[in-house]
Amino acid sequence: MCSTETADFYARNPAEATISLSINGKACKGFHNETILSCARRHDLYIPTLCELDDIDHTPGTCRVCVVDIAEPGKSHQVVTSCNTPVRQGMAVDTRTRQVREMQKLQVELLMADHLQDCATCIRHGDCELQDLAQFVGLRENRFFDRARTEARPIDDSSPAIIRDMTRCVRCQRCVAVCRYFQGVDALMMSETGVDRLVELRGGGVQANSLCVSCGQCVLVCPTGALGERDETDKALDFIYDPEITTVVQFAPAVRVAFGEEFGMAPGTNVQGLVVAACRKIGVDIVLDTNFAADVVIMEEGIELLERLKGGKKPTFTSCCPGWINFAEIHYPDILPMLSSTKSPQQVLSTLAKTYLPEKIGVPADKIRVISIMPCTAKKDEAVRPQLQIDGMPETDVVLTTREFARLLRREGIHLPDLEPSDFDNPYMSEFSGAGAIFGTTGGVMEAAVRTIYSVVNGKELDEIELTQLRGFEGIREARVDLGGPFGEVKVAMVHGLGDTRKLVEAVLAGEADYDFIEVMACPGGCVDGGGSLRSKKAYLPHAMARRETIYNVDRQKTVRRSHENEQVKTLYRDFLEAPNSEKAHKLLHTHYTDRRRAMQRSVKEVWDDVKMSTMIY
Amino acid sequence: MAQVAFGVWDGVVHDTQKGVVPATSPLTGLKKFDEFDDGNPIRAFFGDRGFFVFDDKISLIDALFHYMDKAAEQSCGACTPCRMGTVLVRDALDKMRRGLDSPLDFDDIELLGQQMKTTSLCGLGQTCSVALLDVIHNFRDRIETEIAGHRPIKAQHGMAYMTAPCIEACPSKVNVPRYIDYIRDGKPENSLGVLLQKYPMAATCGRVCVRYCELACRRKFVDEAVGIKILKRYVADQQKGPNALKFTRDMITRPLADGMKVAVVGAGPAGLSAAYHLLLHGYHVDVFEKTDQAGGMAQIGIPSYRLPKDTLALETDIIVELGGKFLFGQALGRDFSVDDLFAQGYKAVYLALGCQQGTQMGVENEDKARQGYYSGIDFLLKVHDHVDGIKPLEMKGEVVVVGGGNVAMDCVRSAIRLGADNVHVVYRRTRDDMPADHEELVAADHEGIHFHTLTNPTRIIVENGKVLGVEMVRMEQTEPDETGRRKVRPVPGSEFTMACDTIIAAIGQQVENAELISKDGVELNRWRTVQTDWALATSRPGVLAGGDCVTGPSTLIYAMAAGLKAARNINDWIQLGSSRFFKRSRMRQLIKDNGFVADDVVETPVRNMYRVHNPELDPELRKHMFEEVEQTISDRQAYAEAQRCMRCYRIYSVVTEHSIPEGAA
Repeated sequence: MCSTETADFYARNPAEATISLSINGKACKGFHNETILSCARRHDLYIPTLCELDDIDHTPGTCRVCVVDIAEPGKSHQVVTSCNTPVRQGMAVDTRTRQVREMQKLQVELLMADHLQDCATCIRHGDCELQDLAQFVGLRENRFFDRARTEARPIDDSSPAIIRDMTRCVRCQRCVAVCRYFQGVDALMMSETGVDRLVELRGGGVQANSLCVSCGQCVLVCPTGALGERDETDKALDFIYDPEITTVVQFAPAVRVAFGEEFGMAPGTNVQGLVVAACRKIGVDIVLDTNFAADVVIMEEGIELLERLKGGKKPTFTSCCPGWINFAEIHYPDILPMLSSTKSPQQVLSTLAKTYLPEKIGVPADKIRVISIMPCTAKKDEAVRPQLQIDGMPETDVVLTTREFARLLRREGIHLPDLEPSDFDNPYMSEFSGAGAIFGTTGGVMEAAVRTIYSVVNGKELDEIELTQLRGFEGIREARVDLGGPFGEVKVAMVHGLGDTRKLVEAVLAGEADYDFIEVMACPGGCVDGGGSLRSKKAYLPHAMARRETIYNVDRQKTVRRSHENEQVKTLYRDFLEAPNSEKAHKLLHTHYTDRRRAMQRSVKEVWDDVKMSTMIY
Repeated sequence: MAQVAFGVWDGVVHDTQKGVVPATSPLTGLKKFDEFDDGNPIRAFFGDRGFFVFDDKISLIDALFHYMDKAAEQSCGACTPCRMGTVLVRDALDKMRRGLDSPLDFDDIELLGQQMKTTSLCGLGQTCSVALLDVIHNFRDRIETEIAGHRPIKAQHGMAYMTAPCIEACPSKVNVPRYIDYIRDGKPENSLGVLLQKYPMAATCGRVCVRYCELACRRKFVDEAVGIKILKRYVADQQKGPNALKFTRDMITRPLADGMKVAVVGAGPAGLSAAYHLLLHGYHVDVFEKTDQAGGMAQIGIPSYRLPKDTLALETDIIVELGGKFLFGQALGRDFSVDDLFAQGYKAVYLALGCQQGTQMGVENEDKARQGYYSGIDFLLKVHDHVDGIKPLEMKGEVVVVGGGNVAMDCVRSAIRLGADNVHVVYRRTRDDMPADHEELVAADHEGIHFHTLTNPTRIIVENGKVLGVEMVRMEQTEPDETGRRKVRPVPGSEFTMACDTIIAAIGQQVENAELISKDGVELNRWRTVQTDWALATSRPGVLAGGDCVTGPSTLIYAMAAGLKAARNINDWIQLGSSRFFKRSRMRQLIKDNGFVADDVVETPVRNMYRVHNPELDPELRKHMFEEVEQTISDRQAYAEAQRCMRCYRIYSVVTEHSIPEGAA
């Protein structure tokens, strides 16, 4: 399910398009069972749409905006929705008759009747598919808007990560589709009827207590501001503004390759130096790199894995991805003993910034605040985990998604390309190896780990540093790696996207999979397409390949490409942690997980009280 | 019968005042409008195809308001035009009928009505503005006159009813699109909740129902009918998972006093369904069952490879969870009489006896065959004992099953599992005439069953009581008679014999111990089934009957529908001493008598999405075992199948002279 290729008709042999029709008088060829909308797009003819999202094969037919006029031979004209009406031989389609345009316009006006249009205060302002649509159809009046009805629609702000604002929801159901079919989390459902129709969490509760794992893929597909991250830019500014506080910023491997687009740069441009410069410009005291912590994670997790292998414990799952941790704790608590106890790079960096760094720079820990910039919504969940506090203080103080960071820069009047790139200057926690850099893509953690584990086991380095057998984009990939020594060949698997993760976890629990080490990334593609990364309109993961390519290039350009060769990592262990998995390392850099299974069982009575639109007998 | 004063139906305008009366019109032959509610004439009727008015003093505005109010209440809210349009139009009409200024004028309403009709996603939105538009387009002067004085319009009586072709086809009137919607919405538990409003045996029904609903499904005009039964089974099978719905006593909203007890005789589908609904009405229910297990024909008549015993047990247990009691080993006529029940204080008795005595073929030597001869029902009973490990049953050699219904198919498919070398179906008509489900016939084909159609047994060959073979004759079809029906007749001289070890007569059944029942004051009819009136009352006051013992061998869904109906009428009998008007039933009858639910083709092109099928075990493997052949579909398949439903909802409403009496719940 994680393929970027969708079930579209572009990829098919044009010779199979045997259905002749006309669209706006232009002769077109359609495939069997192809929709008018798809056929029109292939022929470069525009039809306004809202709910449909081709990249996830989503045509619920609910917004009813994409109406067109059709005439089949021997039949009178009909107006139909192009998204779910198939092409027919000899059909004449017209997308811009007066009637069609009026109907499209009225449809959008009806959509606006209970959509909160305080656009200036909306996080999607200027980047909203509904605003675009209103312009496309030429909307000029708004007769039906009912503010009281609209404001009565609920807003769920219970989650640390994602805010669900139903006053702006257009009921396109894209979030339901991506959660159900792509992520396989199936945490969302459609509830209520008529004008009360809304998207709810399964079980009917609030998000914080639901099956949701905060992966944020729903946010990436939402056409409006109904879904978004909890905005914490002000909290970050409070710290930056406070002269008593030393603010530390860290940013994730993926942020540097998935941020330039926001400022008009080509997708996949590496903007590491610009991000560092921007942080300095807004007044951040110390800029550190999450990539450094990724190298530390490899040291800890690599040794932990070898210990587990020696103890006959397998498989071991990676633990860097907080969406995956949420998923395991909520959906498959039985798998928790198989998770690595190593903290994620974000938490490793934050912990060291409040324990190791104070010793080095002479600033007391209680004056340090860590702001972390992540392509991830679930990282906000992670930051508030009770397990990840030091003396009641969170290790990570604020998590800003890539989107919030962009907003923060705009609030500061910064246009990224105008800056002069800058480099890290912290001598303790900013150097990284190529291994740390590739953490941002599926397969990257595994590859980084193998580079180091091989060295630990054999006392020598791998012949080929790039492990191409671990790379790729299939949802579940498996490979064999010869670790040498007493371990010999081990079987590893890499999975991205929770839909495939579910399959793999079920196979492991059923005893049908005999892997030694499994890398999991909750978002399809890994962190480069994380739920906290920039939004695209009318597209899902359009820049996945460009971002991955850049990440691999960062690795190639590094002279140090193995975590254990990172000089700052060596210093950390020499001066502070002693050795990977030492008692001190264990205390600071490892964590534990809890069973957060949700009780979803209901009684018939409760269900009957909820059933609408059916004649109730009792 | 009142005459139509004006109206529009299927686009054809009637206006008697103006002399516009079409020569041929569906409105000239309206049926049974006078019988809807005696003494309370229907003044106007509104539907998905138009409207017509008998009494031209009615208010169209008020009538359209009520119609649109129903649409707004029932709109699922998925698509934009119906979700918002129904509400905007309803609110405007409401203002108008109150004599207030409306935010929308008739031009605006027409625009919204046209938008709903043309662009809505499903049948509800597409049809709910048809009558409205007919009024605006043809009788605008009338509605403008109605609101000209800005005076409140006197409220009118009537009712509105929403249905769909599949709902009308279902004996239990299950709201099929609604339970499919709930799957699509991601709420399978609510979907099961919709089913549980009507009967407790959803998983059973999801396996063996004959699916009248799917025959009525309009998706067949696009590709194939929606897999309604498959989806029912999917939601019902959630009960085997971690999120099984709990049956709790608070489902009973109004528990009644201890003395309010009802006896149900027979723990088959008809009895269980009645017991379930009586318990939910608050009664104390004892179910008398002559065998030692609940389920009736679902237990003994449906082989375990179609309905596993544990699945059935989950559903019969519901009765106990709701406080009902099973009294096993209690046979009417043998262990107790109806008199005894009344003497024990039961306020009413419901007979759900079933129809379990196999009908004989009436061929020579049928009485002499003691070894190797079974009736279909007896054979299935023995199969049941075999599966339960009570008494092993082995078969070998050639087995001949006579009959073409589902019971016959159950017999042949059981026989092959019991080790028969070859199993033959003998049926006097053609294969197309076989009443068995098509899927059953196909499954039998896959399992290597031999079919002999247009063949009829004439004599059983018996030696010392043991069956050795059967003599048969070929049949041929006669020319179609004036009704188009083709009969069959024997082909002279085509007699032949087939050696066999076993012959099973699966041609029909009747009520057991009929004489004992009539001695209890319960009359039987000439088909030897229990005689009842429209309200399921027998000749003996306080005794009602339903299911196969009334209708003859029928289907699970008819039996369960009878249980619901009986529970309502028993409640009425106990509380009021008579059976009440049931207004939704009257509305259904009216719609049915007049053929208002059009089986119209789908005009708009629709993308093909072929239906899912239950995964099945390999035929070579399965023909040796009694484990369930069909498996439940996956979540993903269920979502996909649910997407295929086109939601052919339609609303019908009447305006009446007086208020319509509140009926039984």
